[in-house]
Amino acid sequence: MKKKKVIALLLATVMGLSLMACGGKQKGNDTDTGTSNVDTNSGTENAAEETQPDVKPGKKGSIEFWTVFTGADGSSMQAIVDAYNATNPDYTVNHRAIEANDLYLKMPLAIQSGEDVPDVAINHIERIPLFQENGFLEDYNQLIGDSVIKPENYNPKAWQMTEIDGGHYGIPLDVHSYILYVNMDLYEKYGNGALDDGVLTWDEVKASGEACKADGIVTMGMAWHRVKFLASYAQLGGTLSSDGVTPDFNNDKAMQVLNTWTELNDLGYIQKDGDSPWEMFLGGNVLYCPEGIWMYNNVKEAGLNAKMYDYPTFDPAVKGNWTSSHQFVIPKNEKRDADKTKAVLEFIDFIGNNSLEWAKAGQVPAHNAIKEVAEFNEMPQAFLADQNEELKIYNYKYYGYAVESLDKIVAEVLFGRMTAEDGLNQAVQETKDRIEMGQ
Amino acid sequence: MQEIVRAKKRKKFSFTPYLFIAPHVILFIIFFLIPMFYGIYASFTKWNLFTDPTFIGLDNYKTILTNTESTFYRQFWNGLKNTIIFVIICVPFQIIIPLFIALLLDKKPKGRNVFQGILYMPTLFSITSVTLTWLFIFNRSLGLFNNLFGTDINWYGEQPYAWMTIVITTLWWGIGGNLIIYVAALSGIDKSVLEAADLDGARGLKRFWYITIPAIKFPLAYTIIVSVIAQFNIYGQPLIITGGGPNESTYVLLMYIRNLAFGTGNSVAGMASAMATCLGLIIGIISIGQLILLRKRSD
Repeated sequence: MKKKKVIALLLATVMGLSLMACGGKQKGNDTDTGTSNVDTNSGTENAAEETQPDVKPGKKGSIEFWTVFTGADGSSMQAIVDAYNATNPDYTVNHRAIEANDLYLKMPLAIQSGEDVPDVAINHIERIPLFQENGFLEDYNQLIGDSVIKPENYNPKAWQMTEIDGGHYGIPLDVHSYILYVNMDLYEKYGNGALDDGVLTWDEVKASGEACKADGIVTMGMAWHRVKFLASYAQLGGTLSSDGVTPDFNNDKAMQVLNTWTELNDLGYIQKDGDSPWEMFLGGNVLYCPEGIWMYNNVKEAGLNAKMYDYPTFDPAVKGNWTSSHQFVIPKNEKRDADKTKAVLEFIDFIGNNSLEWAKAGQVPAHNAIKEVAEFNEMPQAFLADQNEELKIYNYKYYGYAVESLDKIVAEVLFGRMTAEDGLNQAVQETKDRIEMGQ
Repeated sequence: MQEIVRAKKRKKFSFTPYLFIAPHVILFIIFFLIPMFYGIYASFTKWNLFTDPTFIGLDNYKTILTNTESTFYRQFWNGLKNTIIFVIICVPFQIIIPLFIALLLDKKPKGRNVFQGILYMPTLFSITSVTLTWLFIFNRSLGLFNNLFGTDINWYGEQPYAWMTIVITTLWWGIGGNLIIYVAALSGIDKSVLEAADLDGARGLKRFWYITIPAIKFPLAYTIIVSVIAQFNIYGQPLIITGGGPNESTYVLLMYIRNLAFGTGNSVAGMASAMATCLGLIIGIISIGQLILLRKRSD
């Protein structure tokens, strides 16, 4: 009996151990590099994997298209894919939406094994440098030649950020930025005309602070701190790494960003620690609230009189909105022939030319054709379509490590539980250690 | 005689019982045993999941156990400390509260089954929905608790409230499992023993301590061990409720492990495996220790 129990227990322990060896299975919030804002994004990319029904192959076969769009945006993408398939192409497109973190694990494994490799996939731009280094991606420079894809058709910044070592590894589907939402009713009362020049500065935020505070209004709502940090830091000319390898964002510029915010917290101009600023903004109690452009539908549903502006700046002359981009990448696969690759490029071009549906999902399509569409120009995010240097896109190879280390410290610094210096040093150290061990 | 011996022999080599346990054993080997050994092997390597693992001996263990300069050292010890704090706070409640409720239910009050059903129900929900519910309740400005009691507590951004939120959520989610075990165990106690105790003048606490507890000691030991193992594996609650904050004071070891193994960017799977192996060893040692202690007491 005794023996049996010990054995049973050992087995139980073994089971426990093996579970851990595999890493936790449960997954709640997603620390992904892209749009996935776990605090507020209403789960656009957190939903479970969903597989679209198979489409009958065209004359020559089908194109496997993997995307990270498992939320509401998945149906927008499917609508565009359906429209493409309705043109009776030689290769019909099979759209498969896969939860982002799964896709970033499955795709490399598929490429390495050579089995079930997608013909084209959507990756967040921040993922591309490391995938390129690992040799997973086709170089578009070898493919586009005189095909339908023309670099000048795309937003220059989103195009240029996937130029790596003389090759080109992504074609942008969209840009999606983190901007500023302003409650216009409150602005009338407390704004002091800060937006007359179209840009809000942190000093102007401060100037509205006391009046707001007296009436119980939050002047500035602060959430998803990592991207706000990245936006402000880039405005000051900061980079995550000066040589593209070693992280060195524990510097004066980064300190300036964090100290500016800590001061706002000390003055009581931001929401109390533990409150959700976006919910409060939708409830009409927050004057300024930075959020992603993809959250606009929330604002519309809440019936709020709110407008989108550029993310706040230090210097009104230097705008900067943290931006990511969904990019088409072509995973390496020896079995794919030139004919199919050509079809893939045509498909990518088709999406670029028919991306109104994508704009309706709250994004800014990166193909210039969208600028000719009247309906798009009336959308609130349309002002971003013409931006270039203002779009702060990061393509640091170890972006993932850096932002995950920032996640651990920025809120702590903001709410005064840690000094900016300690926080940044810790984040840089963590990034360095992970780079070393993740080689 | 020979016939009987032969029959016994034949019975001994019967294939049928193995067939019955085969599905479990095969699944166990494929999904638990092999990954476990592979995980232990990985802990001796530097591995990013995509390239071949490089064997580096005990380096990972040296780093997490002794290299005070390293992030992984800080993360391992902080994660382990937080995990142990959680186990120490949570497990006693997870035993005492359901036991108390089970004792009440054992008095056969009206609507007993309804209560039991209600108390068991949260166990069936996913951790995500449970934590989201409690997130709403403990939201600082919009939450039910602060509004109901006129308080302004920063439930998930300040200690000790952050731990309280996590523990309350866990208890609400998890007491049902232990509860039904206790209810069943209590109803299994021979009533004549209780009556005899009554006649001898043992009442209330005394009767509970000397009659009830020894009578349910095996289910009790089982639930304690299982609860300890389960709580050492805490992951979802702090991940969703506090995100590990404030100041990584609720960042538990499994969160670090998952972040290292399956975070953004190349995996640091070797280091993560070393941490997981250490955690597994600790759970194993504690569980065996508990078992020995309990057995000694029961002897």
